[in-house]
Amino acid sequence: MSKQGKTRTVEEINEKIRKGDVQVLTAEEMKKLVESSGVEVAFKEVDVVTTGTFGAMCSSGAVINLGHSDPPIKIDHAWINDVEVCHPGAAVDLFIGATNMSEKQPFEYGGGHVIQDLVAGKEVELRATAYGTDCYPRTQLKTTLTKDDLNQFYLLNFRNCYQRYNCAVNSSEETIYTYMSKLLPRLRNATFSGAGELNPLMNDPDYETIGMGTRIFLGGAQGYVIGEGTQHSPKNLNGTLMVKGDAKKMPPEFLQGAAFTRYGTSLYVGLGVPIPILNEGLAKKTAIRDSEIFTDVVDYSVPRRDRPKLRQVSYKELKSGSIIIDDKKVRVSSLSSLKMAKKVSKTLKSWIEEGTFFLTTPIERLPSDSVFKPMRQTGEIPFVVSVMHPAVTCTENEEIRAIAERIVTKSVNHIVVIDGAGKLRGIVTSWDITRAMAEGKKALADIESRNVITAKPDEPLEIASKRMAQHNISALPVIDIEKKVLGIVTSEDVSKLLGR
Amino acid sequence: MVRVLLRFSEEQVPQPITSQIILEYKVPIAILAAHINSKGGEILAEIPDEAQEKIIKAFRKRGVSVTVPKLIEVDTEKCFSCGSCVALCPVEAISIDKDSSVKFDKEKCVGSTCSICVDACPARAIKSVKQTNSEQLANNRKK
Ligand code: SF4
Ligand code: SF4
Repeated sequence: MSKQGKTRTVEEINEKIRKGDVQVLTAEEMKKLVESSGVEVAFKEVDVVTTGTFGAMCSSGAVINLGHSDPPIKIDHAWINDVEVCHPGAAVDLFIGATNMSEKQPFEYGGGHVIQDLVAGKEVELRATAYGTDCYPRTQLKTTLTKDDLNQFYLLNFRNCYQRYNCAVNSSEETIYTYMSKLLPRLRNATFSGAGELNPLMNDPDYETIGMGTRIFLGGAQGYVIGEGTQHSPKNLNGTLMVKGDAKKMPPEFLQGAAFTRYGTSLYVGLGVPIPILNEGLAKKTAIRDSEIFTDVVDYSVPRRDRPKLRQVSYKELKSGSIIIDDKKVRVSSLSSLKMAKKVSKTLKSWIEEGTFFLTTPIERLPSDSVFKPMRQTGEIPFVVSVMHPAVTCTENEEIRAIAERIVTKSVNHIVVIDGAGKLRGIVTSWDITRAMAEGKKALADIESRNVITAKPDEPLEIASKRMAQHNISALPVIDIEKKVLGIVTSEDVSKLLGR
Repeated sequence: MVRVLLRFSEEQVPQPITSQIILEYKVPIAILAAHINSKGGEILAEIPDEAQEKIIKAFRKRGVSVTVPKLIEVDTEKCFSCGSCVALCPVEAISIDKDSSVKFDKEKCVGSTCSICVDACPARAIKSVKQTNSEQLANNRKK
């Protein structure tokens, strides 16, 4: 510690690492220390706090360089284990994106798995095609490779380490499969992501020590922060990092390919950042608890950018295994591994204690006040609300003859059955009515369909249209959350607007 | 304990077949899950090992189809304890240990009639597997 006793420098800490008397705590241990002994003591006693996270990070990938073949090839299209990889640069540089899927086993095997297999030392199959030039005449290539055959193999993740993330639920009637995993209908489960109080950025939310050039734990080896991640939005505590590390040095454990049913593939990445405790303020910040970190419970059944937020929850509640939504207990699962996050912070701690990992001062600070903008869209897309019109309705105690008349005078094909409060009960079509009259039926209850497929007003029209096609029907009553009928949308409305 | 899936046809639903068998053989049969309506139904039941053979036969004699369903198997090498599967399990067979590892309780799991967790595992560590055919086992024992 420097003379005033109020600050310490990264150089002083590195000197202690060299001498072997550095004091390192994991984020978990630091929180306990601050709670029991206070910030002042914790600052005096602790030089470094190690953080960690282990989650699915889709914006990850690896850059590889193959070396030149003979005759040489300027790759145009390439596949590794049938996963298409990009060729963003010159002849034999490739980028393996974690979410690119195998053409033979889509949704089960993808770029994340290719990276995992390479890291594990497995042999992979490369296929490439090219148009052929005077200097690169070859047009076809097929070979097998391991990581030892590559000139460079490094992870280049352009968005990792999300500071916190939504908690996802599904209020619809059907199971949905999302990047937040499988969501059962009617809020039967919830999922969340992120390590909460162990997350690196949560422990240095003002980017005092984490910046460009910060040496970190990445996939089980030393890596670096090379800038802010894409969608970095620190002002509302949604910061991200862009990171790089030598994948040849990574052990298999901290990078795992992942398959999300009906969503696609990804890569789980273990990432940890050491936070030098340079002042009391940092000692205090690294004491942050799950109970102080909040996120939104978001309804993923709404296929829109701005999905409804049902409530706020703390990571403490999320990690407890269940949360309460509208008086209902909903069981909640983490998608990122807390066990592995702890392992990351412990491993990083041991590296520093053993003197194999030294801290760095960032060469440039990351922005700490930017926000993430939505996309600028030049074309408007239509929603159900923009085409729906008032529904012709009836109640269950009406006679079929009266309804038949209404179908004729209003010239519609669908009559929505409602109760006294205007809530949806069923639907009848002109076809149902014709048949009922032919069969001499009188009661509406005998012919109405009660299992009604519906639409919501803020759904994209395209999705409502798909639903009609899927169920082979030509109209959807539009209802609100309470099942009150707001209107109706028909396949005619859709074809008028979308031209199909 | 052996898990079996009993399938009842429309005509069998109103008959008290299960209770008759329990009374006749004096064997406790635990019902783990049931989906029954007037058109037919399925019951997932658990039968003690010693009695499996005669009980399965008794159901079959009464025209009930009996199958031994698949159970699940978790590849602990592949599982990285993300926890995605935990809240999906309807019978709370999956839990998180003190050290944050994910644990499966095979006794509680109802197997392939459920399988909700299988396609939610990002590591594809959960597989449906065939339960050892109980009848075969019983036959082998006799020989
Ligand atoms: S198969 Fe069903 S009961 Fe068994 S562990 Fe998975 S979710 Fe639970
Ligand atoms: S979802 Fe798969 S990887 Fe995750 S805890 Fe369950 S079994 Fe393990």
